[in-house]
Amino acid sequence: MNSAMMEVETKLPFAAAEVTAFVENEADLLDTQRFEDWCALYADDGAYWVPANRKQKDWLTHVSLYYDEKHTMKTRVQRLQHPMIHCQEPASHCVRVLSNVRIESVSDDGSECTVRSKFIMLEDRVGAERRVFGGSYTHRLRREGDGFRIVLKRVDLTNCNATLPMLTQPF
Amino acid sequence: MSAYSNESLAQMVQADRVHRGIYVDPQIFEIEMQKIFGKVWVYVGHDSLVPNIGDYYCTTLARQPVVMSRHEDGKVYVLFNRCGHRGAQVLASERGNARHFTCMYHGWAFRPNGDLAGVPMRADFPPESLQGPEVGMVRVPRVASYRGFVFASLDPNVMPLEEFLGEAKRGIDELVDRSPEGEIEFWAGCHRYYFRGNWKLQMDNMADTYHPAACHASTVGPDGRQFQRRAGEEGGAALFFAPNGEAIVSQLGVRGFRHGHSSEQSLFDKEQKGGQWDEYRALMVQKYGEERTADILKNRRHSLTLFPTLDILIAQTSVRVVKPIAVDLTEVEIWPVRLKGAPEVISTDLIKYVNITHSASSFIQTDDLEAFERCQRGMQTQGSDYVLVARGVGAEIDEGDGVLFGPRSSEVGQRAKHFAWRDLMSV
Repeated sequence: MNSAMMEVETKLPFAAAEVTAFVENEADLLDTQRFEDWCALYADDGAYWVPANRKQKDWLTHVSLYYDEKHTMKTRVQRLQHPMIHCQEPASHCVRVLSNVRIESVSDDGSECTVRSKFIMLEDRVGAERRVFGGSYTHRLRREGDGFRIVLKRVDLTNCNATLPMLTQPF
Repeated sequence: MSAYSNESLAQMVQADRVHRGIYVDPQIFEIEMQKIFGKVWVYVGHDSLVPNIGDYYCTTLARQPVVMSRHEDGKVYVLFNRCGHRGAQVLASERGNARHFTCMYHGWAFRPNGDLAGVPMRADFPPESLQGPEVGMVRVPRVASYRGFVFASLDPNVMPLEEFLGEAKRGIDELVDRSPEGEIEFWAGCHRYYFRGNWKLQMDNMADTYHPAACHASTVGPDGRQFQRRAGEEGGAALFFAPNGEAIVSQLGVRGFRHGHSSEQSLFDKEQKGGQWDEYRALMVQKYGEERTADILKNRRHSLTLFPTLDILIAQTSVRVVKPIAVDLTEVEIWPVRLKGAPEVISTDLIKYVNITHSASSFIQTDDLEAFERCQRGMQTQGSDYVLVARGVGAEIDEGDGVLFGPRSSEVGQRAKHFAWRDLMSV
């Protein structure tokens, strides 16, 4: 590393414990339906992406189950809290369990890192069959103050290319 | 089949109401597979899914596995996905390419047009047992296409495709003519989701401009605007309600066509301007001239629905396909379309918007699917045997050539579908 990079004000390296706590907290916010707090974790240039195909390279040339830039994410959250969201009457209840959290890479200037983890999510809704989803999360995190913001969360579902029921809950 | 006489089936569709049995009775569903899906032109796929020789695309027709393939002669064929030997499904992947389609069970091979190409240890079969088209992958009796949309019929005596489409083929034109090359491509895969309800609930909904105010209330923000649904300034976020309190979309009219097709008027009736839209317009004028370009871009239709299961989503530059699986199980596919020759960003932006408007996680479709599932459950009740399709009865305007226009979210389009259903089911 050269001296210029040594002067960059970042914490190096990213500690596994703090990154794990961050992604577990994100899952907890979703589980408890604190959707506004969840949305605030995302950078203004952030995005939430669930590809519809394995090894999908981008969201431009193939459909995606979710591709939300920040403004779309805000609309989604607004709708989830809307008093007249009929497809959530009754409401879904979910639990998301994470494991195998590991830092895959750190950017050269130490401002961002990529984190992989595995997850399983249960979704229950009275009158509907129980659903189980699972796969991997890939978070691109950007250091901000003492914490992080999410630049991109990519969710690769094991059943990404199946015929799916209606989806309302972020994974 | 014998549970219902032709007369009793005809009675199920009246001038302003239909019997709930058409949605919930499994016997009627089986009759539909024979009398509707076994008789009319059913959409199979777009030929852009099989551009090269040996390409194949697997789907179903009346629940039967079929394959659309491109043969060595450059033509598109539709075959039953079935080995001539023991009836195994030959192709198991949705899409692929192969010089010969080979069955995994005993190794029989077929050319892309279904002809038998090879039989291992052939000499041990009596020659007469290997004669005839039935030892190949049998071709579906009739196949025809219109501007790349491939249709097939299980009835060899079906009327010509262009007669079946009639005036409604303009809906396909309105989509395809948006390409400066007059060609579209299904390039980005499809959204695929299911609901626990009858396919006709989706069919009704595709001609329904009455439901958004209540059903899609969750898409209207506190400022009375719906979220942005299309790229460009004219894509929203539009005001949802008119000054008199009516949903603007419900003030739109609907049309019913011969043979059960229908169309809805468009909410987005202004041309897009600025950036890539100006470049696009210049390319369109180069191809079509000024007058025709203005006409093509006029956005006069939101969608055109071809009976029984194809929906041209003109406003969303996409195509929806409805696939009946069982009386109370339906799959829906949404295919975004690429406009060949248009600036690429128009087609890529479209994919982003269709993710929001027509995916399994859509802000819109999820409430529609909830409605369909509630209808399927509600219609199990015996309190009333009929459901109303009465909106706008008596106020239809005959535009000639079998086209009826109904203003203000008339259900004329839904009645056109139910009358076509009755005509087919009662013979």
